[in-house]
Amino acid sequence: MASEPMSIGSSAQDPPPVPDATSQEPKYGGHTRFELELEFVQALGNPEYVNYLASRKFLQNPAFVAYLDYLQYWTRPPYLQYITYPTSCLKMLELLQVERFRKDILSPNLTHALVTEGMKAAVEWHRESLS
Amino acid sequence: MDKKLDASFERVEKALAVLIDSMTKFTPSEKAANDVVKAERELFLGLEELEVHQRNVARIKQLKQETEALDAQTKQTISALWEMRKELVAVAPTRFSPAKEEKYPFTTQQLLDYARRISRNTLPPPGVTNGVDLSTAAPTTPDDQAATGPNASFATSIGGGGGGGGGSGQGTAASTPAPGVQDSFVSQVPSQSQTGATELPVHLKPAVNPLENAPFFTFPTIDRIRSGALAQYQDLINRGIDPKNYDPEEEERRIKQEEQDRKDAEERARQEREEQDRRMREERERMARERELARQQQQQQEGGMDRRGSVLAPGQAGGQPARAAPKQFTFLDEDDDDEDED
Repeated sequence: MASEPMSIGSSAQDPPPVPDATSQEPKYGGHTRFELELEFVQALGNPEYVNYLASRKFLQNPAFVAYLDYLQYWTRPPYLQYITYPTSCLKMLELLQVERFRKDILSPNLTHALVTEGMKAAVEWHRESLS
Repeated sequence: MDKKLDASFERVEKALAVLIDSMTKFTPSEKAANDVVKAERELFLGLEELEVHQRNVARIKQLKQETEALDAQTKQTISALWEMRKELVAVAPTRFSPAKEEKYPFTTQQLLDYARRISRNTLPPPGVTNGVDLSTAAPTTPDDQAATGPNASFATSIGGGGGGGGGSGQGTAASTPAPGVQDSFVSQVPSQSQTGATELPVHLKPAVNPLENAPFFTFPTIDRIRSGALAQYQDLINRGIDPKNYDPEEEERRIKQEEQDRKDAEERARQEREEQDRRMREERERMARERELARQQQQQQEGGMDRRGSVLAPGQAGGQPARAAPKQFTFLDEDDDDEDED
């Protein structure tokens, strides 16, 4: 990930437009901002990735925290429908707004617990809905 | 009122004065005494009237005060209302964000599409248990067990392929394992008796279910993240390329196009070179032919000179060039001769 310093003013404050056939969005490395941010917000669903970000001190960076706040537009329509990992991604985005969690996720134990509990829940919720 | 009372007092005083006067003269007059009594009575009446008057005045005063108080209260109320109105107008109305206020209409088809899109990331594939022991918990009856166990859904998916009615097919198989049904199907379906006779040995289970013990995550794995667009982005930065407005596909197309252009240019240059070579060769051949012709003519002239006196027939002079033409290959003959000599 990019390790150069970030500044709050450098990022656009408005969510990117929803893609359609006619849009001529500028591309970054072949992908639009919409695609990159969608991928990033879904990658946040992976506790190991968040742990990695924490270990690189990204979660202590006020600009990055502001970016996490900005990313909450994915929790609202019409962006919501593009998220294909809704369960973990949205919950993690919610948790990442809490400063305590941003510090705690540095712990490998918590990361591991999140992974295992998530795997367990993925199986069990389905069974509960059937029984 | 005052005048009336003053008149009453005056009358009483006068009557009294008349009476005293009459008494001092030692001629008390009864009439004067009656006048005094009458005047006094009138005075009392006037005083009573005064009392009523005073009471009324007091009452009026009180009412006035009351009116003033009420007026003040009204004013106060009105000013309070005015203030309140001003405050109300001044209060900025809370604008709810459009996301909360607006309804986003969607069709059932869109909802189902979304459900299908996310289902591969939210619902574990049949047979994947993520290490959770599904056999011990919730299900209460063997039927439930058959319906909810991962093997059951797996069996349904392979056995009920003929039609969408997986449930009915599974029910049939569970109750009466027909001979025609696939072996693996039969062995995978836990029958109601669950004697274990139809159960595959543990070590064979992975063979029939490729997803046995496969983990299921509800988030993108690290490998997927590493092969995604963000990784490409980072890779571009690492290579010192500014990713903004940089499209690898576009770049590839551009490079291919350049390559193609270069090839075309080379091809054109080659063709031109060949053309030029060909022209030069022809030129050389032409020049060689001319030289040869000139040489033969010279030889002939020399031969003519040797045969002095000989006279050419008129037809022979025209036939000379026709004979000269084949001689351009004279050197070939010489080559042949050389070869023969070799």
